[in-house]
Amino acid sequence: MITSSVDQLLKNPVSFLDDSGPDDDIAISSRIRLARNIKGYPFPTAASPQNLQEISSVVTLAAKGTETLGGKEMMYFLPEELSDIDRKLLLERRLVSPDFIRNPQNRALFVCPGETCSLMVNEEDQLRIQAIRPGFQLEEVWKHISKTDDELGCHLEYAFDDQLGFLTSCPTNVGTGMRASVMLHLPGLVLTGQIASTVQGIAKLHMAVRGIFGEGSDNCGNLFQISNQSTLGESETKIIDNLSSVIKQLIQQEKHARRKLLEDNRYAIFDNVGRSYGLLRHSYKISFKEAMNCLSGLRVGVDMNLFTLMDIHKVNELFIAIGAAHLQKRQTGEHSEGDIDILRAECCRKLLAEPHLS
Amino acid sequence: MLCDKCKKNEATVHIKEFHNNKCTDLHLCQECASQHGPSDLLSGLGFNLADVLMNVDKIASQMKPSGNENKDTAVCPACHWTADKIAKNDGKLGCPECYKTFSGLIKNAVAQVQRGAIHLGKRPKGVVNASPAIKQHELEKLRKELKKLIAAEEYEAAAVCRDRISILQQELNEMEDNR
Repeated sequence: MITSSVDQLLKNPVSFLDDSGPDDDIAISSRIRLARNIKGYPFPTAASPQNLQEISSVVTLAAKGTETLGGKEMMYFLPEELSDIDRKLLLERRLVSPDFIRNPQNRALFVCPGETCSLMVNEEDQLRIQAIRPGFQLEEVWKHISKTDDELGCHLEYAFDDQLGFLTSCPTNVGTGMRASVMLHLPGLVLTGQIASTVQGIAKLHMAVRGIFGEGSDNCGNLFQISNQSTLGESETKIIDNLSSVIKQLIQQEKHARRKLLEDNRYAIFDNVGRSYGLLRHSYKISFKEAMNCLSGLRVGVDMNLFTLMDIHKVNELFIAIGAAHLQKRQTGEHSEGDIDILRAECCRKLLAEPHLS
Repeated sequence: MLCDKCKKNEATVHIKEFHNNKCTDLHLCQECASQHGPSDLLSGLGFNLADVLMNVDKIASQMKPSGNENKDTAVCPACHWTADKIAKNDGKLGCPECYKTFSGLIKNAVAQVQRGAIHLGKRPKGVVNASPAIKQHELEKLRKELKKLIAAEEYEAAAVCRDRISILQQELNEMEDNR
């Protein structure tokens, strides 16, 4: 099978940042991943290179016959053949996990043309299916991913136990093998100081809060990923229902916090939005973290109609464009970290050249 | 002694917890202890199963060996992994067969991180939809419900519940006969 070029992805708008999703002012994207393994093969951690290659060929055959992965249009990547920048670009587009590109040997990635559905092969589990959509629509994502799972399951005999369900490399994923998550933008809760108690409350409900790039990543830009912790003992729809009700409450709390800030401290919000815009528009050197925090301010401004000429598309475009790999991919030659900060500032100035604060 | 949770500060708070007739000792620093609600440490942030399995010796010693099997020294016949190797790999298992080989160890770990012990979600195509395990689980749930209904003197609902129990029981018996 011929591998695809990462350049193809750059032409795509990022699927999960389309602004057509429900509640997209607070819920950025909804994602579900399913962990699956094939009967008779060891899990990737214990598998020999030969095992891994066999698994990869078996899954490749199954993926080819999977319409929801794009059929003939499906993209195929071998991370070990890609440059470091290309691998990071896959991560910035949230198509792979940090671990997947850290150890790229004998791994493969399949992506549907719109990047809404992908399949990692030989990550922690042999198959990690992922589906992602903009806004808050977990049920819709579940429908899609379940279909992909069924299609792949027609070609593969999954490792399954009557009591424990789908068997996974780590018992924290056993059962449904499902991790559903919603990325939320919660500047209101952060600014009103309610975020710490909110996070503690969520943890007590058997749910986890993570940074934007999943496990082990820092929170930045006031973005939080809320996901289910338990994968066994409840059906997928029950897990999604529970998670959804928590997300709904969080959205309400965030709306309330923003209203309260507007009533009590109107100028603090305006100042934050204005400074964020100013930094992005006029900086000559800006780090990823600072840019992400400024984008959070910009997003608040757009949500509150404080800009006349800027819409959420521009914010979303910047959200992806400021990633180190995306910046470097559009340039030639090697760049140091300091150079990247310069490139990032240049990119922001260029993209924000037109709109003005109202 | 270092704190069990942050592994950085000196442990000054020592907690004994009794759960399912098992006693666990927790040694925490002041800061981690203040965040620790009753019995919810393991569901808190930053927890991962590795922490449970890393203490594999402690857990294994709590487990009663079933028959002559000594799970501590068990070796998976398919991938040749041991409990020690699992602990060294952050709690990850070697292969699907490990779930049988280290069933006692996994059962304990699952009880601490998962909300239930039986899979109630989707099943691969071709695998019977209503498995004995699911039916048994439903049956237990209905029996509890029946007790509640009788206590609340809701006899009509209790009768419906009782009928469902007998149908389920019959189906379960048939399934077992066919095995």
